[in-house]
Amino acid sequence: MPDTHTPPATSWQPELDELRRREAMAREMGGPDKVRRQHEGGRLTVRERVDRLADPGSFHEVGAIAGRAEYEPDGTLRQLVPSNCVWGRARVDGRPVVVVGDDFTVRGGSADATIREKPLMAERMANEFRLPIIRVIEGSGGGGSVKTIETTGRANLPGGVGGTGLFNYTTLNLSAVPVVGLGLGSVAGLGAARLAASHYSVMTKSAAMFVAGPPVVARLGQDLSKQELGGWEIQTRSGGVDHAVDTEEEAFDCARRFLSYLPSSVHELPPDIPCEDDPARREEKLFSIVPRDRRRVYQMRHIIEAVVDKGSFFEQGKMFGRSLITGFARFGGRAVALMASDPYFYGGSWTADTCQKVVRFLDMAETFHLPVVYLVDCPGFMIGLEAERAATIRHGVRAMAAMNQTTVPWCSIIIRNAFGVAGAAHQPAGRLSLRYAWLSARWGSLPLEGGIEAAYRAEIDAAPDPKAKLAEIEERLNQFRSPFRTAETFWVEEIIDPRETRRLLCDFAELAGPLRAPQPGRLQMRP
Amino acid sequence: MKIAAEIAASVWQIQARPGDTLAEGDTVLLLESMKMEIPVAAPRAGRLTALLVAEGDQVEEGQTVALLEA
Repeated sequence: MPDTHTPPATSWQPELDELRRREAMAREMGGPDKVRRQHEGGRLTVRERVDRLADPGSFHEVGAIAGRAEYEPDGTLRQLVPSNCVWGRARVDGRPVVVVGDDFTVRGGSADATIREKPLMAERMANEFRLPIIRVIEGSGGGGSVKTIETTGRANLPGGVGGTGLFNYTTLNLSAVPVVGLGLGSVAGLGAARLAASHYSVMTKSAAMFVAGPPVVARLGQDLSKQELGGWEIQTRSGGVDHAVDTEEEAFDCARRFLSYLPSSVHELPPDIPCEDDPARREEKLFSIVPRDRRRVYQMRHIIEAVVDKGSFFEQGKMFGRSLITGFARFGGRAVALMASDPYFYGGSWTADTCQKVVRFLDMAETFHLPVVYLVDCPGFMIGLEAERAATIRHGVRAMAAMNQTTVPWCSIIIRNAFGVAGAAHQPAGRLSLRYAWLSARWGSLPLEGGIEAAYRAEIDAAPDPKAKLAEIEERLNQFRSPFRTAETFWVEEIIDPRETRRLLCDFAELAGPLRAPQPGRLQMRP
Repeated sequence: MKIAAEIAASVWQIQARPGDTLAEGDTVLLLESMKMEIPVAAPRAGRLTALLVAEGDQVEEGQTVALLEA
């Protein structure tokens, strides 16, 4: 048979040129005016953000040329406005991750310019390829704007047929891979949901997050600026966002640092790193850091810094539930989830907010196989009318349940107080943990102060000098308060010299290492 | 600048007076909460220009308790 095929002139060059032209148009984002406006607002574009977040040259984009095209009458491309979702895989400190970002220069990041499957595929890739995902959020995060109804010609049923995928992965990935949310501008609606539904969220101090922005809440009669409504001071104190920073660069640093303590997915273990800090290092100041005067407070963060591998403490959620400090740390190079009471806030009592913080933090530790270290100084749950109104006790037992449901290795150091039900919540019930008490430790079902009046009312009322009687009873009871009496009956296992703390915690981290299982646990974490 | 109470508490003891020059971290007053004395400190060095609370007062979280002039 004769060969009728005409060989190509040279190659597929015209198609390659077309591809490059479309890619170049996509890199223009919403156009020079919108990009300038973004920069004038002190904000980077989504592509600049991805470049600075990821290791240089590591970003591999997916779907760059998806968008809305306009054609000349002859069918040639006149213009391509890209979708406002930029995503792909990249490396962060050498490890593969998924990055998905909103392009605010294209229709303010809203759904009008979104292709629904793009952010969805990013979440699926993180889930199925077992990679951490970093959501770079600005705008409504692909959610709708009021105009959407007119551009689509119909009203969207949120979560309607075919529309639940992103909602599903928004929370599903919390049980699968590390999820970091960065709020780098005004973040509302679905964008706010995607930011809040993360293991760790960071916003810039010029950003704001809200369910609905100032024009909408103005209808409620609340005349507020973006900052007044959802700025960092509101959101970090309410627990809506974990951390606030001055610059976008700092937000990227936070994301990198957060991920450095975690495995890439629940199918792996947290990475160990070499440790140059002597595990047996004794800090002399620990011997006198807790005041003998029981009414006086001390700086728990100084204790943390003294016992962890130098410089390894990475705090999260500092402004929320402040009577408990939470963060990651390393002992002998091994990552742990660290909780520590802060007596500067209600003496370390657990408020309803603190209890919520405990639940989320322990769920994360359990999800990613991080052993827990808890430095305890808890005089109990917060008391008083406001505490009752906040349902402190129900949030409290919820925190206890979260603790009891952990399976990761656990070590508690009782620094000072452990009183009442919240005092009992210092290690998981029903399994063996390690526990040490400092020389300054004291405990009881109830603190004696305030409790004596109730328990010994008849005796006090009958005394000629009730005040003197009260003091006498207090002195009588105080002699039983010594932790040595508790230790002699083996109600507490060990009392230690505080300077031994680092050595014992490094020892714990080493013992805990082989107990961690690189597989999904039973827990399905909620935001 | 405003110096705020970080917690709801009662004012236990005033330790600085208007006109005092304070270094960063100096205690302005002690709050009492959960039987503990919790210091409210000067966030930076300056001169205390006003005290807005008295011993025994109840303060709310975030309430301004004193003013500092840098």
